[in-house]
Amino acid sequence: MADQLDRQQFERTAIAVAATIATHAAHLPPWLTAGLAAAIGLRLFARRRGSATISSWTRVLLTALLLVVVATRYGNVFGRLPGTALACGLLGLKLFETERTRDARVALCFSGFVLMSSLLFSQALSFSLFVGGVLVLILGALATLQPAPLPTRRPLRADLRIAATLLAASVPLGLAAFALLPRLQAPLWGSRDDGIGRTGLSETMAPGQFSQLMQDDSPAFRVEFASAKRPPNAALYFRTIVLTDFDGTTWTRRFGSDRGVPTPAARGRTFDYTVTLEATDRRWLPALDLPLFAPPGARLDDDQMLIAARPVNQPREYQLRSDVDTHAEPSLDRRERLPMLRLPSGYGPQARALAQRWREQAKDDQGVVRAALAMFRGSFTYTLSPPPLARDSVDDFLFGSRQGFCEHYASAFVFLMRAAGIPARVVTGYQGGWWSGDYLLVRQSDAHAWAEIWRDGSGWQRVDPTAAVSPARVELGAPDANNVQAWFGAEWLREVRNRFDAVNRLWTLSVVQFDAMSQRNLLSSLGISAAAQGDLLLMLSTVLGVAMLLAAAWAMRDTRARRGDALDHAWRGFRARLARAGVDDRAAEGPLDLRVRLHATAPDIARAVDPLVSEYVALRYGTAQPAASRIADLARRLRSVRLPRARRGALRRTGIQVRRVP
Amino acid sequence: MNETTHPPLRADLRDALARAVHQVNTVVLGKPHEVRLAFVCLLAGGHLLIEDLPGIGKTTLAHALAATLGLGFQRVQFTSDLLPSDIIGVGIYEREAGVFKFHPGPLFTQLLLADEINRAMPKTQSALLEAMAEGQVTVDGTTHRLAPPFFVVATQNPLDLAGTWPLPDSQLDRFMLRMSLGYPDRDAERAMLGASDRRDVIAALAPCLGPDRILELRQACAAVLASPALIEYVQALLAASRDHPEIRVGLSPRAGLALLAAARAHALLAGRAHCVPEDVQAVFPFVAGHRLGLGANARIDRTRLVAQLLEATPVR
Repeated sequence: MADQLDRQQFERTAIAVAATIATHAAHLPPWLTAGLAAAIGLRLFARRRGSATISSWTRVLLTALLLVVVATRYGNVFGRLPGTALACGLLGLKLFETERTRDARVALCFSGFVLMSSLLFSQALSFSLFVGGVLVLILGALATLQPAPLPTRRPLRADLRIAATLLAASVPLGLAAFALLPRLQAPLWGSRDDGIGRTGLSETMAPGQFSQLMQDDSPAFRVEFASAKRPPNAALYFRTIVLTDFDGTTWTRRFGSDRGVPTPAARGRTFDYTVTLEATDRRWLPALDLPLFAPPGARLDDDQMLIAARPVNQPREYQLRSDVDTHAEPSLDRRERLPMLRLPSGYGPQARALAQRWREQAKDDQGVVRAALAMFRGSFTYTLSPPPLARDSVDDFLFGSRQGFCEHYASAFVFLMRAAGIPARVVTGYQGGWWSGDYLLVRQSDAHAWAEIWRDGSGWQRVDPTAAVSPARVELGAPDANNVQAWFGAEWLREVRNRFDAVNRLWTLSVVQFDAMSQRNLLSSLGISAAAQGDLLLMLSTVLGVAMLLAAAWAMRDTRARRGDALDHAWRGFRARLARAGVDDRAAEGPLDLRVRLHATAPDIARAVDPLVSEYVALRYGTAQPAASRIADLARRLRSVRLPRARRGALRRTGIQVRRVP
Repeated sequence: MNETTHPPLRADLRDALARAVHQVNTVVLGKPHEVRLAFVCLLAGGHLLIEDLPGIGKTTLAHALAATLGLGFQRVQFTSDLLPSDIIGVGIYEREAGVFKFHPGPLFTQLLLADEINRAMPKTQSALLEAMAEGQVTVDGTTHRLAPPFFVVATQNPLDLAGTWPLPDSQLDRFMLRMSLGYPDRDAERAMLGASDRRDVIAALAPCLGPDRILELRQACAAVLASPALIEYVQALLAASRDHPEIRVGLSPRAGLALLAAARAHALLAGRAHCVPEDVQAVFPFVAGHRLGLGANARIDRTRLVAQLLEATPVR
């Protein structure tokens, strides 16, 4: 059966399918990935051995099993995660019934869909490139399936080259569609409801919670300052979440109390900048401490936190102005003061006692702060891998382990301040970053926690106890301060990674973030203003049409350039005309056989054509070097011979192939 | 179907050839195509392998050819105990002269019918095939030339394989054409059953050609024009056979030469001074069929494979 897949075709299909599933490996349950890999491997092995096909009962059973495990794992089969898990499973199982070319085509087309869905999970440059590579594999496998006139051995390189050519040829079209297709305000596939795969600051803080974050090198956001003046490194505190409530283990945000705190006034050095925030699926927006106003679509709450109206489920850009010297809220009334002093009962008796002692010894609040920082500076160590803490985390940390990083210090410090009667709160956010040319890259590993204490008269003031323990953390950033991550300290490696980020940023800015607004900007820069969506569609179809025409011209040029001289060309044209007259064109038929066939099926044509065939044979085969004049003459006659057009179909049906020449 | 301005053959030669073909056809009834192939093989200077069941007419064809061509004829029935010297000949000591004198075997003839060639042991097969390839044999250090034309018609029974040594692929390559005769059609069979004994018919045949004319025909055959376009077509066929996944070993350049030579002979028989693709197509199955090395688990038979190659290679 010509339709049966040969080994090469099946294997390339299977590899393309496996690669497609691999793009989902990051969020599929490991057992599913492993199971599918094993299934595909077994199938490849079985086909190589020439084992029998898999019965439909087994396939039905496997499909049912897949449905059941996906449903039990995720609770349902709808939604992004269960949906893709199911799609990957079905795609893998499809190979079990892939025996013929048609099955393989279906499998590969479905691969294309599953591959596209992997972009719902990540749109990073490197991942997109990976997806592009898999797409080449899929197209290459499709090219392998292409029926050849003869089954031939197909070198993989040749098929991949076809695939790459196809992909390259589709780039202009893709670009046109990218630039001109009307953009929706929200992503087509809705919001990222499940927030899987996002790391970042959470709205709570418990000891040890940051450890993972600190290892995460993915970009959190990028900051571009409007002027060349940059804030000093020590001022690069990006406040994000303010935590006020403590239950002995975990710091949480208090429930909003919108009293309408006046926005802070500019007092010292102000900076205008643009933040490009990676998707977080949460509503908070980081801002250089302290933002003076909220960007559109966000508000500044009582704790000077920027909160967006909707979760940031795609990269978001916003402009801000901050004053690094100002303090918020010049007054704190009783009602507000109390929550900032509240401590969980039954926790940290030693810490409370210590704070009381300081209170008695010190003249003022400043003295208490100094005493606390002095203690940290004295006998504490900064490490990203501290030992786990006991239930009473504050006492255990202060009087037991004495090892920790920002969140331990911030937590303990705020506890001590509150115990000493000073209103205090924890602020989490990011500190530092890496200057890449004209912008500052802040990674998740730059996450930081610090404290704010209330001072009568001047308001909330930032105190960073971590800085007391490890000044380098603030000056250089977490990765440098921490020798646990010494491997990461390889300078060139960081350099490479940081350079790569510059490319990544360009990708995010120009591709991932390309929305309706960017589209308008782009079009207006091209002199097309206020383009309505209908116009866009019109433009798109025009571009598509032109591209198609160009492609058609290109393809036709290709056939025309097929080997052959003027005589071949004339003869081919004549055979094409014959085909239109109802004599189907058989490439493998010689001219004499054609004449025999014509005599048998279309005597009227045969009479007219006879001398032409003789002349063609004489020129083509009767002499080594046909005279140009005779070729030209024959070509003219071949063009001008009258062929009937009416007898389509009838001839084709009666056409018998005669191979022998008497 | 005379396409050419120069007749390829002298009139007497052409007539003699036509008479010869016709005469063989009067003996071997209903097989004009196979008879033409036998003449193709003869004119192209190759050797013919006929693979068929016993009683189909292989021997009759060989006899008729020998009688019609006017060539010396020998028949060797190959058996498992046949030795090389049995066909080549042997040097015998002659007491009077005091020297070894070479007594030529049946090989020293012009048309040799090697019956059931696969029954002989490989050593004997290979002695014959060497003689076919070289046109000479060497015995006791002396080389003896075989007088041209030397034309071998070998037969083998493809079904009854017990106790045989099938010819290896490399040996099959020595045969320019391999064909089978097949059962005669109804009319031919009726004519054959109704007519007198074939042996009597053959005994009554008059030779139409002779060694000299055959050599002349062979020269004319080599002079048939194969235009660049035709050679390209032959090349395309060879390339297609090498690219086919079911084929382990594609056609060799020698196969290409044989194909071209056979096509020339076919054109000459058709009265043309040049080859057309139809000539190549007509002989291709018989030139290529036994030379294609199929893969170990090829799921296609040679006949279909050859047809597929022809079907897929565009004529130029």
